[in-house]
Amino acid sequence: MPDNNKTYDPFEAFHKYSLLWEKQINDFIYLWTNNNEFVKMANVGTEIHSRYLETMKKNQEALAGVLNLPTKSDVTNVANLTIQAEEKIEALEEQVWDLQDSVKAQAKEIESVVEVSKEIIKLTKQLKTELVKTKKELTDSRNVYEELQEMKFEIMKLAGVKEELESLRSLMEKDMKAPELSGAGSSK
Amino acid sequence: MAVEIPKKNLIPNFDYQKEASRWRNVFKILTEPEPKMGHTPRVEVWRKNKSVLWHYPAKQRKYEIPLFFVYSLFNKPYILDVAPKASVIEGLTNMGYEVYLLDWGSPGYEDKNIGLDTYIEKYLRTAVKRAIRHSGAKEITLVGYCLGGTIASIYASIAEEPIKNLIVATVPIDFTAFTGPDKWAEGLRNGDFNIDHFIDVYGNIPPQYVEGMFRAIGAPIYFTNYTMLLNRAHDSKYVDKWRRMNKWTLDQAPFAGEAYRQLAADLFKENKLAKGELVIGNKRADLRNIKANLYVISGSRDNLILEEQSKPIMDLVSSEDKTYIVVETGHVGLALSGLFAKIVDQWAQSRSNQIS
Repeated sequence: MPDNNKTYDPFEAFHKYSLLWEKQINDFIYLWTNNNEFVKMANVGTEIHSRYLETMKKNQEALAGVLNLPTKSDVTNVANLTIQAEEKIEALEEQVWDLQDSVKAQAKEIESVVEVSKEIIKLTKQLKTELVKTKKELTDSRNVYEELQEMKFEIMKLAGVKEELESLRSLMEKDMKAPELSGAGSSK
Repeated sequence: MAVEIPKKNLIPNFDYQKEASRWRNVFKILTEPEPKMGHTPRVEVWRKNKSVLWHYPAKQRKYEIPLFFVYSLFNKPYILDVAPKASVIEGLTNMGYEVYLLDWGSPGYEDKNIGLDTYIEKYLRTAVKRAIRHSGAKEITLVGYCLGGTIASIYASIAEEPIKNLIVATVPIDFTAFTGPDKWAEGLRNGDFNIDHFIDVYGNIPPQYVEGMFRAIGAPIYFTNYTMLLNRAHDSKYVDKWRRMNKWTLDQAPFAGEAYRQLAADLFKENKLAKGELVIGNKRADLRNIKANLYVISGSRDNLILEEQSKPIMDLVSSEDKTYIVVETGHVGLALSGLFAKIVDQWAQSRSNQIS
C-alpha cells in the first residue's frame, strides 16, 4: 500500500541520476585519456599553444618598442625594484631589531652592574659602621686595660702594705713576749 | 464496464512549503552578493610583496606556544576562516591559542621567478621569525595544510628557528602515488609531457589552469554539486555552506612559475623530498633533520591526497613524539567543518605550555 503521507521530491531522483551520469562520463574520459598517445597529443597541443603565445608576445614587445609603450616586462622590472627595496628595508629592520636586542641586553647588564654596585656601597657602609664601632670598642678596651693596670698597681701597693703590716705584727708579737721573761728573772 | 482511475494517484503529493523554500533560496543565490569570508578579528603583523602575516589573538590566552598556519599555494587560505562557528581559526582562538596565518597572496607576472627556495627562505622563515618575536614566545607550532604541509615539512627540516611541534594535514610527502590517470603521471615522469615551455611563456600558471588541473585529476566533468544544491536548496544552512564552499573552490590562486617547475620536477618527477635529496638554498632538506613533535592527519575520503602520500613522513623524521591519525573526512571537509580545530587542540594542548 503506498504511503500517502510521503511527499514527492523531483530533485532527489534527478540528483541520483546526475551522480550516475557524472560518474559514467568521467569513467569514460578516464579510459579515453589514460594512454600514452593522449599524453603525447596533449604535449604537442601544449607546445603549439606555447609557441603561438610566444610569437604573439614577441610581436607585441616589438610593436610596443616602436610605439614607445611600456610592456608587461617593463612593469615587471619596476615591480622587481620595489620588491628589492622592500627586502632591503626588511634587512635593515632586522638589523635594527638586533641593535635593539643588544641595547636591551646591555641595559640589563648595566642594571645588574648597578645592582651589584649598590650592594657593594651598602656593604662598605656597613663595614664603615662596623669599623667605627670596633674603634670605639678598642678605645673602651684600652681604657679598661689602663684601669686594670692601675688596679694592678694598687693591688701591688696593697701587697706592700700587707707585708709591712705583717712585719709590724711580728714586731708587735715579739715586743709582747720580751717583758714577760725579764720580769720573772729579777724577782728571784 | 468503465474502470475509474483514481486521479489523485497520478498527481504526486508535493510539499509546497519545501518547494517554495527551495526556489526562494535558488533565487537568493542568483541575486544576492557572495557571502563574506574571514570574520575572525585579525591584525596585520608583516607584509612582503603580496604575502601577509596575520595575527588572530586568542580570546583568552591559555597557551604560551602560538600556532603558525601555512596554507597551500594553490588555494586561498580563507577556507580556514570560512564561516562563523565553522571556522578553524575562530575555534582555536576561542580555545586559547594565539594563531598566526601566512597568506601567500596571489603572485603577479613579476613573481614568476619565485621558487620554493624563495618562498621558504625569504617568506616563511621571515614570517616565522616575526611571529615568534610578535608573540613573545620562545617556540612555535607549525601547522601545514595540503601543500602547505609539504612546505612546512621542508622548512622544518632546514629551520634554525625553534619549532616545537609540527602538525601536517592531508599532506603530500611521497609523490609516487597519484590519484589521477597513471599514464599521465608516467608521461610527466618520463618527459613525454613537458611543461617548461608553457611555464616560460605564461610566467605563472593562471588560476583557470590550476582549477582545470585539479578538475582533470579528480572529475573532468563536474555538475553534481549543482544538482545536489537543487536537491537540498530548501535547507538554508546547507545553501549557505554550499555558497561558501563554491566560492572558495572557484577562487583559485595563480601559481608562481618557478615554484611550479620545482614542484613538478623535484617533487613529482624525482620525488626528492621522500628520498632526502631536495636542496633548498644551499641546504639539504632531509626530513631526518626534523626532531619536533609530529602530528599527521589524513582523510579517509580524501580523493586528492592519498594516505600513501602522507604516511611515509612517519618513518622519515627523527621525532620521538609522533602521532598519525586518519579522520573520516575528505580533502577540504576537515577545514570546511571546523573539525580541524578540535583535532589540533586535542593533540597540541599538552604540547603548547599551558599558562597557569
